[in-house]
Amino acid sequence: MSPQYKPKVTLFYCINSIDKETLKLIHAKVSVELTTVEMACSSMTKDVYLLRAFESGADKVVVVACPETQCRYVQGSIRARKRVEYVKKILNEIGLDCGRLSMLNATARDKETVVKFFEDIGNYKLLKN
Amino acid sequence: MIVGEQKPIPEIMKTIEPYKKLLILGCGTCVKTCFAGGEDEVATLASALRLACKQQDKEIQIQEVTVERQCENEFIKEAANAVKENEAVLSLACGAGVQAIVRLFPKSPVLPGINTTFIGIQESHGVFIEECQGCGNCGLATFGGICPVTRCSKKLLNGPCGGSKDGKCEVSKDIDCAWQLIIDRLKTLGQLDNLKKYIPPKNWRTSISGGPRKLIREDHII
Repeated sequence: MSPQYKPKVTLFYCINSIDKETLKLIHAKVSVELTTVEMACSSMTKDVYLLRAFESGADKVVVVACPETQCRYVQGSIRARKRVEYVKKILNEIGLDCGRLSMLNATARDKETVVKFFEDIGNYKLLKN
Repeated sequence: MIVGEQKPIPEIMKTIEPYKKLLILGCGTCVKTCFAGGEDEVATLASALRLACKQQDKEIQIQEVTVERQCENEFIKEAANAVKENEAVLSLACGAGVQAIVRLFPKSPVLPGINTTFIGIQESHGVFIEECQGCGNCGLATFGGICPVTRCSKKLLNGPCGGSKDGKCEVSKDIDCAWQLIIDRLKTLGQLDNLKKYIPPKNWRTSISGGPRKLIREDHII
């Protein structure tokens, strides 16, 4: 990878875990080519959407969901986690590094944590974690 | 319903190796309910196979179609054009569905993408259990509606073996003792006298042991 290369990251996020302000901060501070998919709840994460993000050339796919005890639809974040785990298994089976798919639990208040997470991806620290 | 699970992707990759144009054909009935072969699973598998082929520098075109039922010609015919346009069909149906496609399209290679597992029910969301072995001679009326042929590990027909503990089978703590369930159920129904009936050794000729079975309904044949 050349030093100028910006990792392509697809972000699936629940609107209750990342607000517009956090998104702006990510765009402003992080050196990645970001594609975002907004969801009313992280439970809308589907296996095929995650895989298609990789098909579209994403280096990293990230799902950001509310903490499991704070999902306003009760089980949304748990469903998202289980689907992420299932897709990781598929990635392993097809010989893709499952570390290219990550999940982060955060609330709209956790701006710094979220931005730091993406900064680390931009610095290649989390590209395969 | 027929319960099945998708084959591992490396095994599927091996079977599709000779083909560059592949149809993944889903079934919208039983295997959809058990999350193995419906529209969503077809889409997920197609995406996974495209990624796997890309990893191996292999060219592949995948078409995705799901029909309502792969075991009935009326529904399979809807996929006729797609079958003809592709070099092979990867069927996400039970074994019956796969063979129904084979009968209708004798020149197309049809590959199974699912391991057909059993006839069962969805006990809770995502948990499927076997309830029937299709023995061809149903005795559920005697056993209070609980099948010892399927659910007793030893297939005992004349009462429990005596090895169960706390309602669980001695074979595994995860298996309910079918005879405990039968007795509890007969108690509830006030039919404990059923236990006094002697059940003679089962005639297995009506099961698969008697060879491939066929059912003919003359009244529906014109």
